[in-house]
Amino acid sequence: MAALLRSRCSSVGRTLMGSAGNNLFGAVNSSVESATRPSHCDAISQQIRTFIQMRTNLKVVDNSGAKRVMCIQSLRGKKGARLGDMIIGSVKEAQPRGKVKKGDVVYGVVVRAAMKKGRSDGSEVQFDDNAIVLVNNKGELIGTRVFGPVPHELRRKKHLKILALAEHIV
Amino acid sequence: MRLEKCWFCSSTIYPGHGIQFVRNDAKIFRFCRSKCHKNFKMKRNPRKVKWTKAYRRLHGKDMTQDATFEFERKRNRPERYDRNVVEQTLKAIPLITKIRHDHLKKHIADRHKPGKLKEMQKDSKELEQDQHTHILPKKFNSNEPSAEKTKVKVKVVQQQTQDNYMEE
Repeated sequence: MAALLRSRCSSVGRTLMGSAGNNLFGAVNSSVESATRPSHCDAISQQIRTFIQMRTNLKVVDNSGAKRVMCIQSLRGKKGARLGDMIIGSVKEAQPRGKVKKGDVVYGVVVRAAMKKGRSDGSEVQFDDNAIVLVNNKGELIGTRVFGPVPHELRRKKHLKILALAEHIV
Repeated sequence: MRLEKCWFCSSTIYPGHGIQFVRNDAKIFRFCRSKCHKNFKMKRNPRKVKWTKAYRRLHGKDMTQDATFEFERKRNRPERYDRNVVEQTLKAIPLITKIRHDHLKKHIADRHKPGKLKEMQKDSKELEQDQHTHILPKKFNSNEPSAEKTKVKVKVVQQQTQDNYMEE
């Protein structure tokens, strides 16, 4: 809700005349911004913005039960995986009674990457963290939910199920 | 095709330009160029950075209230294509731009007004106070010598032009 309000305010502030009411909105906007910003900026500073390669730790953003996965093999490219690519990983942290357990070797799709990736129109997109959704070796999802934003590039990679389950598509 | 606004400097981002950063709460920050992206990474507030639109609006440097800004608005529902509407819009665009530029000129002139008035008052006051110390141009002192001088000047000029013609 707050995010929605904020985005609306900012768009109004950008495009329309800044009346007194708009200034008021703007003030709210900036205060919210300053309150929420440090968290993601810290995340950036911690996150290494390179390819997802062997020993990269990724956050698992589905309800398969795994919390953290370490990449052990990229299934694409010499340098490593990028946004939308498949990797093989080993589960390092897992919740009890989940579908996967610690030490399992799993397949996954990189749904968010801190390294910027070019889009089809020439602009670039960059995320806060490195995140993964676990799939089996045929590309079917292990979990039943996907959290956080995912890029629309997954459509080209034929991961339509992830897009259907995602909260936000960027 | 959609023209976005830069989160930092509020300039228009044309397709294929800039970078967008997606925060984990799915808020998208779009930047027109690396300058704006870097400033964002440095956690600068656009309202405190002087070259941004936000600062200029906030401090009354730019025109903020104008009817022409109403036309430039974000619409989330796509307009149905209508040939006549498109034609009229295309006709209206230069007109609206012209009106906006005129308003902008007026805005700037109005902003300069008090300063200019103050400067004039200051100058006239100075002139009044120490008139005796200033060396005034000759035409203020007496008319006759200046008139003679101009006459001489005209003669010289005429001679020169005649010479030039001869040479040619």
